[in-house]
Amino acid sequence: MAAADSPSAALRRRDLCSRGIRLAGKMRADVVDLLDIYVEQQGLDASVSVAAVEGVPLAAVERWDEQTGTQRLLENLAAYRAFRALLAQMLEEQREQLGEADAGLGRALAAVLLQVSAFAYHLEELLRLESRGIPGEEGDEPPPLPRLSLFEQKLRGLGVLRELAQWAVRSARDLRQLAKPSPATGTAPGLAESP
Amino acid sequence: DSHTQYERVGADVTMKCGSMDWDAAVTWTVNGTDINESQLTRSAQLNGSYLILKNVGLSESGQYSCYEGSSWHLKYQTYLRVGTPPKEPVLMCRSNNYPKGFYCSWHLPTPTYIPNTFNISVIHGTKDMICEKDAVPKNRCHIRYIQLFSTVKYKVTLTVTNALGKNFTTLTFDEFAIVKPDPPESVVAKPVPNNPRRLEVSWQNPSSWPDPESFPLKFFLRYRPLILDQWQHVELSDGTSHTITDAYAGKEYIIQVAAKDNDIGTWSDWSVAVHATPWTEEPKHLTTEAQITETTSASTSSFMAPPTTKICDKGAVVGSGAVAVCWTAGLVVAAYSVLFI
Repeated sequence: MAAADSPSAALRRRDLCSRGIRLAGKMRADVVDLLDIYVEQQGLDASVSVAAVEGVPLAAVERWDEQTGTQRLLENLAAYRAFRALLAQMLEEQREQLGEADAGLGRALAAVLLQVSAFAYHLEELLRLESRGIPGEEGDEPPPLPRLSLFEQKLRGLGVLRELAQWAVRSARDLRQLAKPSPATGTAPGLAESP
Repeated sequence: DSHTQYERVGADVTMKCGSMDWDAAVTWTVNGTDINESQLTRSAQLNGSYLILKNVGLSESGQYSCYEGSSWHLKYQTYLRVGTPPKEPVLMCRSNNYPKGFYCSWHLPTPTYIPNTFNISVIHGTKDMICEKDAVPKNRCHIRYIQLFSTVKYKVTLTVTNALGKNFTTLTFDEFAIVKPDPPESVVAKPVPNNPRRLEVSWQNPSSWPDPESFPLKFFLRYRPLILDQWQHVELSDGTSHTITDAYAGKEYIIQVAAKDNDIGTWSDWSVAVHATPWTEEPKHLTTEAQITETTSASTSSFMAPPTTKICDKGAVVGSGAVAVCWTAGLVVAAYSVLFI
């Protein structure tokens, strides 16, 4: 793709990747702090194991080093879009449960939600740069979950935040891979390939 | 018949001479030496043809043989090995080559004095993983990561078994927690010319860290003059060099560096310590113009500046020792020499 290979595109990609890495680092630090607040406010044990929850995108991946740049971007985008919806839901539930009693947790959740939205947008910018079509979000609505008990809601929230913290680390790694120049073409590895 | 017999320290051991009757005349040897009456102690006694060892200790280990009295036919032989059942083993797992994999290593807190076998199992969620044993060292195995960025914990169980018992220990951890790089390598510290308070320190990523570009390391530098106990610390988020600018002039310093993945895990151990002393000016000596003139008029063929002369920078000196000449001094001397030819 000529546009993706141009020097200015390469510079823009590197710039977007660097900023993305910093965003991911800040997001992770804030999610880790939010986890501490969440565990305390919800009366949970920090070491409790949470089974994989339906609808929460798992950061775990096999053969991570073999992924193409496009795969990385698309998987990241799908994940952060899902987290955006999940965090919005958590915020709503938290307001229902605690009302104004815990504005601190609400504010921390809202701040992370904002960063997740910003990061999703950032990923869309990177995809646009590669002249890749950005997948639409229609039909991406998470399936309506059965009404969970309060305790189940709290555990799911814990699972969401833990997985988000993993994603923030993975995203920084993914963007560093993207920012690496390809030895053959000088472009980022994998991005010049067709999906 | 001959075999190996394992007994616990402190146990009482009774050895029968094969199928010989209790009242048969036999001779017992230990490690080829007859156990005769004079050698029998409170801990080793003969009860008929049975050899009784009470409260055995490690020194009782050895080859015990029993011979029929008159014919000296070997009737029984055993290798007695005195030892202890294993205590709970010490297990450690670490990833110094993230994201390739991790290794686990183990040892027993106290020796058993008899052979032990170790069995290790690694489970990730519901999946069993193979931990490939290293040839060297023997108490170590390594695992390649199949998944990265998983929140599911790893559970490692090490079981140690010997003839006298078994024991085990379990470690549970997540992928990020065990990441600990090896210390930085090739740490070098050098004085900075003409800077009495600076030291330039450089190092390299540990060679075991496979991909510093995608998984960058950050570093922690510590330094102190040898004469003080308090360390100064500097954390560096990138780069593999740093200039110390607040060193005490003329004092020898000790410097070390540690590394950590930028995002996860724990700090490495400190690197090998290096020593360096900041640059110091050479001592000055007083000199006059007259001295310079006298010296230059005396010698027309060798352009020698007096060693104490400080009419040029250290950096402009060529040669060394008694024949050191600096360029400007050389020109001055040459000019005078020409005048006096």
